[in-house]
Amino acid sequence: MALIDVVNLSKAFGPKVVLSNVNLQVQEGESLVVLGGSGTGKTVLLRNIMGLLTPDAGHVAIEGKIIAQLKREELFKVRQSIGMCFQMAALFDSMTVFENVAFGLRRHLSISEEEVRSRVDECLSLVGMKGTDKLKPAELSGGMKRRVGFARAIALKPKILLFDEPTTGLDPVMTDVIGRVILDLKHELGVTTITITHDLKSAFEIADRIALLFRGECIACEPPDAFKVNPHPVIQQFLRGDADGPFLQDPPPPKRKTKEGQA
Amino acid sequence: MVLTFIDKTGASVLSALDTAGDFATLAGRTFVAIFKRPFDGKNLLNQFQAVGVHSLPVVILTSVAVSMVFAVQLAFGFRQFQAEGLAAQVEGLAIVRELGPVITGLMLSGRIGSAMAAELGTMQVTEQIDALECLATDPIHYLFVPRFLASIVVVPLLTVISIYVGFWGGYLILVGVEGQSAFVYSHEFYKLLAFRDLRIALYKALVFGMIIALVGCWKGYRTQGGAEGVGNAPTSSVVTSSLWILISDFFLTKLLLV
Repeated sequence: MALIDVVNLSKAFGPKVVLSNVNLQVQEGESLVVLGGSGTGKTVLLRNIMGLLTPDAGHVAIEGKIIAQLKREELFKVRQSIGMCFQMAALFDSMTVFENVAFGLRRHLSISEEEVRSRVDECLSLVGMKGTDKLKPAELSGGMKRRVGFARAIALKPKILLFDEPTTGLDPVMTDVIGRVILDLKHELGVTTITITHDLKSAFEIADRIALLFRGECIACEPPDAFKVNPHPVIQQFLRGDADGPFLQDPPPPKRKTKEGQA
Repeated sequence: MVLTFIDKTGASVLSALDTAGDFATLAGRTFVAIFKRPFDGKNLLNQFQAVGVHSLPVVILTSVAVSMVFAVQLAFGFRQFQAEGLAAQVEGLAIVRELGPVITGLMLSGRIGSAMAAELGTMQVTEQIDALECLATDPIHYLFVPRFLASIVVVPLLTVISIYVGFWGGYLILVGVEGQSAFVYSHEFYKLLAFRDLRIALYKALVFGMIIALVGCWKGYRTQGGAEGVGNAPTSSVVTSSLWILISDFFLTKLLLV
């Protein structure tokens, strides 16, 4: 049985269909990367997995438990086994870094403050943020916030980690740092991960399998090597990063000629 | 034409019912969540400080101002009939029964209700409330309950302070300016009042506290649309809670004075 089972998942907001019959299975310990253009429903997929949204049709099951059918208390139990890393980190801005990472520990575990401190230090070290525990989120850069968000997500030792565009808006160097942190977490914690990203370099480093969402449908889900050579024109256009092709619904503006006269 | 009108009216009624239902559901969830664990004492104390301690100056200043203005009006009015002695009695009646709780309620809806709406609204649009959900924490329990508890305790306490300060505001004008006897003022202030009047004032303050916290939290929790939404939430919260404070004041007065 797959640890995460997405079955015929559909979700629309008014007339806009965001996900249409998406099927994905993620095995324990596996790392799935979900690629896709903006607005193709990648974040909606993660929010359905977390139970933050309810599917219109189909379902998401975690360890065989159908998320949309769980009572609130049961859902909270399942959520304790999932760490969610938000696109903009979503740190609690009224709290320090320490309090952010300690939040789940203090609320769900009956452990001493010393144990909380030691676990927070451990988590911050894992993401390379040791010594920042007294800072407020407003004092951190974008990349630092994401890493503190990772530390908060792993504090309760979850089985599953979900990353929502962890590198968006970061410079190439910080993007590489975040990619390495995700790889480290994957290897050191042995967790199952789903990562949504636009960064192909880290995607191929992280992924055991890569899925591509296109207009609400999952058009491929295969190992990186197979994905690279998949002849589907949408996949090839996405890998090339070219505006011309079937990927965009509206035609892109024409390419201007350069000074040398080349298109 | 007629069909369009009926269609629009129906849609408005459905939308209003939808809004009322949403508020009632969240209010009900808040009442239920009060008894849930874990109990977050630190969070509750923070709210007591934000709602109570920081609101003291504004409540004291407005109570002094309103009671002084009211005393000036009463002294002027009763002087027309050579009945200045009644001014202290009416001042006492008005401050304890109406001005104390209503002024405190309205000022706090502006100060703490709007702050709750802005804070929760910002948390909503920056995904902090989703983060709470993902950390297996019920936002109603974590965010609504401490604010609600702080509000229903603090608003009656501040109402008592407002009444006490109102007494001295009236004293300043009627004794200090109008030259009435301090002994007579102190005696007359309470002459028309019974313990029931203070009880009514506290019941009103309790209800106003519930309205302020629930409306403030609800408006913040339902914020949508980024900076514009966060900007609208406090305004909407103050308008809605002030309106409900005044409406509920009428019904509470009718009900409790019987």
